Amino acid sequence: MPASEPVRLGRKRVLPACPNPLFLRWLTELRDEAREKGLKTQYTYQKALSSLNKYPLPLRNAKEAKILQNFGDGICKILDEKLQRYHQENGADAQIQSVSSAAPPAGRADNNSVAPSRKNSAGDGGKDRAPDGKKKRREYVPQKRSGGHAVLLTLYRQSQIPDSKGFMFKLELQAEAQPLCDKSFTVPDLGSKYTAWTSVSTLIQKNLLIKTHNPARYSLTEEGLALAERLAAAERQTTEEEEEEEEGPGVVDLTGSDDGEGEEDRTHPTGSAAGQQSSDTDASCSSEKPQSSQTTSRHQGGGCLLPGTYEIILCVDFIETTGGSNHRKQELVKELQRNRVNFDIRKLNVGDFLWVAREKVTPVPGQLRVPAGRELVLDYIIERKRMDDLCGSIIDGRFREQKFRLKRCGLHRPVYLVEEHGTAASHLSLPEATLQQAIVNTQVVDGFFVKRVQDVRESAAYLTIMTRYLNKVYQNRTLSCRSRELEGDVCGAEEERGVPSCSLISFAEFNHGAVKNKCQTVREVFARQLMQISGLSGDKAAAILEHYSTPHSLMAAYERCASEAEKEKLLASVRYGKLKRNVGPALSRTVYQLYCTQGPLS
Amino acid sequence: MSLLRRAKTWEISDSEGSDAETKPDLNPEVATETKEDQSSGDQNRSVLPAAAGRQSAPSLSPPRPQGSGTPSPTRKRRTKEEIEADRQKAKERKEERERQRAARVQEKEERREAAERLKSLRPENCLKCLTVRLDPALLQQDGSDILLDTLAAFEWRFSIESQQLSHSITWTRDLPQGEDVSVEEEQVVLVLGLADFMDMVISVKRMLDSEGEETERGSFLSPLLECLNRDAQKVVTLLVIESNYSINACGEHPRDEMLQSKLGMKNVDIEEVLVYLQLCKNISLVFLDGWQDVTDHVCAVTKALSKRPFKLLTERAELPFCVDGSWASGVRVERDGSGLVEVWSKQIQQLNRVSPAVASAVTASYPSPQLLLQAYQSLASEEERKGLLAGLLVKSGGKERRIGPEISARVYRCVTAQNPQLVLD
Repeated sequence: MPASEPVRLGRKRVLPACPNPLFLRWLTELRDEAREKGLKTQYTYQKALSSLNKYPLPLRNAKEAKILQNFGDGICKILDEKLQRYHQENGADAQIQSVSSAAPPAGRADNNSVAPSRKNSAGDGGKDRAPDGKKKRREYVPQKRSGGHAVLLTLYRQSQIPDSKGFMFKLELQAEAQPLCDKSFTVPDLGSKYTAWTSVSTLIQKNLLIKTHNPARYSLTEEGLALAERLAAAERQTTEEEEEEEEGPGVVDLTGSDDGEGEEDRTHPTGSAAGQQSSDTDASCSSEKPQSSQTTSRHQGGGCLLPGTYEIILCVDFIETTGGSNHRKQELVKELQRNRVNFDIRKLNVGDFLWVAREKVTPVPGQLRVPAGRELVLDYIIERKRMDDLCGSIIDGRFREQKFRLKRCGLHRPVYLVEEHGTAASHLSLPEATLQQAIVNTQVVDGFFVKRVQDVRESAAYLTIMTRYLNKVYQNRTLSCRSRELEGDVCGAEEERGVPSCSLISFAEFNHGAVKNKCQTVREVFARQLMQISGLSGDKAAAILEHYSTPHSLMAAYERCASEAEKEKLLASVRYGKLKRNVGPALSRTVYQLYCTQGPLS
Repeated sequence: MSLLRRAKTWEISDSEGSDAETKPDLNPEVATETKEDQSSGDQNRSVLPAAAGRQSAPSLSPPRPQGSGTPSPTRKRRTKEEIEADRQKAKERKEERERQRAARVQEKEERREAAERLKSLRPENCLKCLTVRLDPALLQQDGSDILLDTLAAFEWRFSIESQQLSHSITWTRDLPQGEDVSVEEEQVVLVLGLADFMDMVISVKRMLDSEGEETERGSFLSPLLECLNRDAQKVVTLLVIESNYSINACGEHPRDEMLQSKLGMKNVDIEEVLVYLQLCKNISLVFLDGWQDVTDHVCAVTKALSKRPFKLLTERAELPFCVDGSWASGVRVERDGSGLVEVWSKQIQQLNRVSPAVASAVTASYPSPQLLLQAYQSLASEEERKGLLAGLLVKSGGKERRIGPEISARVYRCVTAQNPQLVLD
């Protein structure tokens, strides 16, 4: 029993465990569920969690929780339902004991796993924040086996490999840093919203880490390199010492933490000093945490999905199911349910529908939450448009923007699903012929597949059949995971028609890569900024960027000019576009006025 | 534009002539010597005699002309070698200049050609290169005249000739260079009546049910599959005319009824067939009311094909975002610079999650990029500069709040960063 917390730096007082572990657990589950689907309700649950965490007294039912901040009727109702179910399963008298007692009774699997990990999360939180808040004067050194420590160390090791590329992508970095860290990089602990990855922003703030490009690349700054070097040296030293002195207890601890999880051996980096140490220091921690982090690291690593180990699931963007014209949108979900389609509602950053191959996972004994299965995205992505949507999106420019994003999303078979609604299109603000031309252009010019249906019902029927068909096609296929970040896009040409592609990107990478405006680089912002001048088109901006890729470099160039006249003409002879035309003196002058006017602009 | 280019040319010849500046010393000798010894064999242009003439006039002016002008035997011999060297140099210079001129001419030529090529790709010109090819079988159908009439009225090129696929329409495009070279576009339109379409659906269904065994494929399906086997890149669209049936009172589609009554087929079956055709054959389907609709569709495809080459060329974006949209329209700036303050505000808004209200708070305090930069320069520490804007008040919806450290730091990094790939978020 992990009754006593190991001594941790930066923590003075062990926080009492939350007196309401069941509510805590349910809320955490609700939040994580919402987060997986990208729903905004995750924040509501998070707020409620924070309140609950602060409340020191046991609650007998959910109604009592209503006095807490951020607990609305909705949450209380859900919790009450869960509580009733819990009573039904465990008997009505289970209530007081399990809900109100602060110390979990020994031997109950669920409460054991709840309380200790809550302690840990508090410990980690304190540890992460302490250097930030209190010790402002002192140099920032991340604690051993914390997220920051692991990230620094991983990047350092990578930088020491000859001919290394000098940076790492997010997924790569997470996967390799995970064994060096106690906390998961992807799954937050119970009651907390932070993962070990959260510390990366601290590292960036402390100027130890630099994040460049899109997709993001992480590398060490000079300061970061110096610190990481010291951390690595300290690491080597301690492992040597431990190997000399503590061989005996180390062995005992190893077996201790191996209880009930045969996987641990396989997933630990073989013979790595860090791995040894982890079992060492973690032996007294709850068994749940290190294991969950192990499983996630296993899932991130490539590997294959063999036939039968996965199922094909339709993913529906939550926008398609909520908000706006509610009635019609509910209809789609109802139809899909009626058709018994295996579907999942989540936030898709591009497109409205797609399919994932999801690994089937079985619950691990001794663990409440079923580990998340791997998910690979099939090559098809569907954008649904009613005629009136199409009309609106052409007018406000979303039509092109969406197609642009669909083309770059990494899935090679985009489908435009058009709901024509018979004659309803006749009273739209664009003529029917324009809309039809736009649809045909989408097929001929953009190379999308265009599927025409009459209404939502037909859309649902189409999605149903597609799901069934894909299930059939993928019945006997072995899927492998490929990373766009690491391997780039393969061209779709090598896939033969009718043969489904089996080298797929993970859903996480796909959806992360498709976030709109996620990471702006200085270059990108500068291009957009230049385009705010009327007449300065995208190709002109791109040409100027060839010469001056940041505001700073343009300003510096102006400063190097000998005269105002020279400044005025600086950009005039920059060539742009296919025809290599000059940007011209007028535009050059405008840019000069913008950046060189010493006083206020008019 | 040409003016500017000429100016640039001058610059080039000036800088290239940095060694030419030493020439005036030597030129006179070259000139005189050439005249004495080798005047006949010399093809030096007028430049040199002219220089010599210039030289002869101020020959009295000391001290340089004097030194070089004094004839002495040893010197004379040396100058002979020098002459050679100089002549060589002059020749090189000339060649260099000629090369440059040639390069300029060539570049001009290339640009002209590129412009021509681009021009030929413009939709209106590209349209003239397209030929719509119609299968004669189509024209036997009632109502198909309208297609021919429309193509003729548009003055588009079309031909009536037997196609690989009966009842189909294809397109060819002349390539800009040669007259005879033309490419076949990948789009194929196949026009079917409802009955023919249903035959095809039944054939496909039978084929799918028998799981690959050879079955009787019907008169439309097998040529279609053969055609796709020959060229898998073809994109076939089935246009199904259901003109003889109008939607009945219940709003049911005639094809549903017909399929159900005639064949006991359900919507599910037909959808299955369509999904198979989509995923395995990339065949799409449009139900149309009659030949007017078919004509409209064929015209739309023709127009789309005419737009495609130009779009593909200009679309290859150098920028990582879509350059279309209302945000990119830009603010009009007058010659006197009025409008720039709006540009400046819009520029700040290009950073993620910066609202117009936040941007105008920044531009109100620092009404030009220079003023912001000066404010940054006046601050000693990085921390101070990062936080410069954090305390500015933003008024929105009656409430007042501060810009905050996060946006403040992002604006700072955007304005001052030297690494273009630095991620701001």
